[in-house]
Amino acid sequence: MVIDPIYRDALIFASLLTLLSIGLTLTYLTTRVPNFAHGSFATIGIYVALTISRVFKHNVYYGLPLSFLLGGFTALAQYVFILKPLLKRNASINHLMVATIAFELILLAALNIYADFLGRVFKITSRYFQLRGLDFQYAGYPGLLIVAPSLVALICLILYIVLTRTKFGIAMRATIENPSLAETLGVNANLVYTVSWFLAGGLGGLSGNLLPLWFIGNPDTGSFMLVSIFAASTSGGLYSLSGALIGGYLIGFAEVLGTSRLASLIGVWIIPYRPIIPLTVMVLTLMIIPRGLSDLASRIVGRGVS
Amino acid sequence: MTIPPEILFIIDLLASLSPYIIVCLSLNLEFGYAGVANFGKTLSVAGGAFLVGYLPGRFTSWILGIETGNYVANSNAIVTQINTVFTVNPILALSIFILTAITSMIIGAALGFLAAYPVVRLREEYLAMVFLAMGEALLVIGYNYPELVGGTLGIMVPDPFAWFRELRYTATTIIMLFIAILTFIYVEMLTKSPLGRMLRAIRDDEYAAMALGKNVARVRVKTVMLSSAIAALGGVLYAFYSGGVIATAYNRVSWTFWPWVMVILGGTANNKGAVLGTFIFVTIRKIIEFNKDKLTPYVPFDVVWLDMLLLGVALIIILIFKPEGIIPEKPIKTLNLKKP
Repeated sequence: MVIDPIYRDALIFASLLTLLSIGLTLTYLTTRVPNFAHGSFATIGIYVALTISRVFKHNVYYGLPLSFLLGGFTALAQYVFILKPLLKRNASINHLMVATIAFELILLAALNIYADFLGRVFKITSRYFQLRGLDFQYAGYPGLLIVAPSLVALICLILYIVLTRTKFGIAMRATIENPSLAETLGVNANLVYTVSWFLAGGLGGLSGNLLPLWFIGNPDTGSFMLVSIFAASTSGGLYSLSGALIGGYLIGFAEVLGTSRLASLIGVWIIPYRPIIPLTVMVLTLMIIPRGLSDLASRIVGRGVS
Repeated sequence: MTIPPEILFIIDLLASLSPYIIVCLSLNLEFGYAGVANFGKTLSVAGGAFLVGYLPGRFTSWILGIETGNYVANSNAIVTQINTVFTVNPILALSIFILTAITSMIIGAALGFLAAYPVVRLREEYLAMVFLAMGEALLVIGYNYPELVGGTLGIMVPDPFAWFRELRYTATTIIMLFIAILTFIYVEMLTKSPLGRMLRAIRDDEYAAMALGKNVARVRVKTVMLSSAIAALGGVLYAFYSGGVIATAYNRVSWTFWPWVMVILGGTANNKGAVLGTFIFVTIRKIIEFNKDKLTPYVPFDVVWLDMLLLGVALIIILIFKPEGIIPEKPIKTLNLKKP
């Protein structure tokens, strides 16, 4: 079976984007603030992958646990040291958003410093690099083509089981629905928030670790993906994890396939304008169905039942 | 005549201050007073600057009858020719400057409308995300559509103050400062008028304002448009002063995130605070820039990043411990309209 390479690009990009949009939705659900630093969690993974493969000469995939932990702890630090004190002081949503931007500046600076450090001390290409040659091949296909969607499926399965079948998951959903009520019932809301942020950062790290196996990595790659991540989460509804899954794949495919379709229709000059696609989808979703696709789906299903 | 380096430093500082003062005043009007979190400030600033790359060169060569051919490819030669004319024709130069400034404000307002209108009825965070994305989109266009501002290479722009000859930098700096002061006076009067009180009312309780018959969405869109027009003027000044426009100079960090740091540092919802914040921030950055060569041999990375790291940390500390900024918001002193 021969797959057009463009579908490979689309599937890989959409899967990596979905990991990020699930994380963004998770943090939005808990703290109700869109995290403008979310993209840079992925960049942390990108540099773990580079360090593991080029400095320590190990398989890129070995970096996954480390990326998960580093991304997770970074997000956790953001929640514990920045957002929690602000929430305690009843900061407005605008100030919370500015605080996430401040954290984004710190992360961007730190990642750039690390990239300079790698380049100057270990003499490796630490900007605009790609690790495509380091991936394994399976039946003529790049390993990432199998790993990325499987990872999304696995994460979704785990999240589904945890959220619906475990006590902690149910407590988590309760906290998301109504934090004060959940707390009166003895749920540790703080723990739920902590876990959500850790998980969100971890998923971002995983996505970033896989990203340079197919795309180009740079200290600002994650920041540039931010618009796509926002678009994916908002078109999914911003309040639903299944929405983030649908939105991630929708935006991922729309970006890659839409650009290639348009390029063959009107000309290749359109290709660099790719970032305008997620913006358009986001604006249209917000104008037509501001609660996103998940809400639309539930309304249609709801009508069918009644 | 050689100018001593200290004076050069001060001129450079004042020149960098003016566009930022204008942009911060506009952000303060939008965020401080009206409560609209514009995370795409770069959209209107770049809108103004891109217009400077696009319009004055083409328009002046059309007036002067200069054969342009492919404008972008020949822009250096054309702009040099225009500047020679500008050196002896101040009236033409100034008219072009004023025309560009006015057009840019219209473009800025239009961009503000485009970004705000679709999502103004939704919650702040949606607005913030869409603004950010719009700003990025304009940069993508500027970077990839060479007709606009020369794409990746950038483009030279005519110098409307070329007729000051060797005093050009000093004169431009003074003119920019003058425009910044005018903007300050305008915004100050605006925010002390009944309109300013209405903006605060909408920011603090939109439902109460609605109950009093204020069309909240409409006022928000108008505020964003006005503030974008002012910010576009900041972009115009910066572009003319730099003598060239390149899309990458109008990135998210320089023209959205830095103005936010300045406004929060100085204190929101008061114009003096915005100016003070801008002054402190720009001065610190200039001093770091001036002295960064001294630190470079000791660290294995570019010092620019250190400055970004420190300012990010500073912003968080302010947000947590002094969210009202250096000069907190005060009750409005209304203008005395009655004649004595």
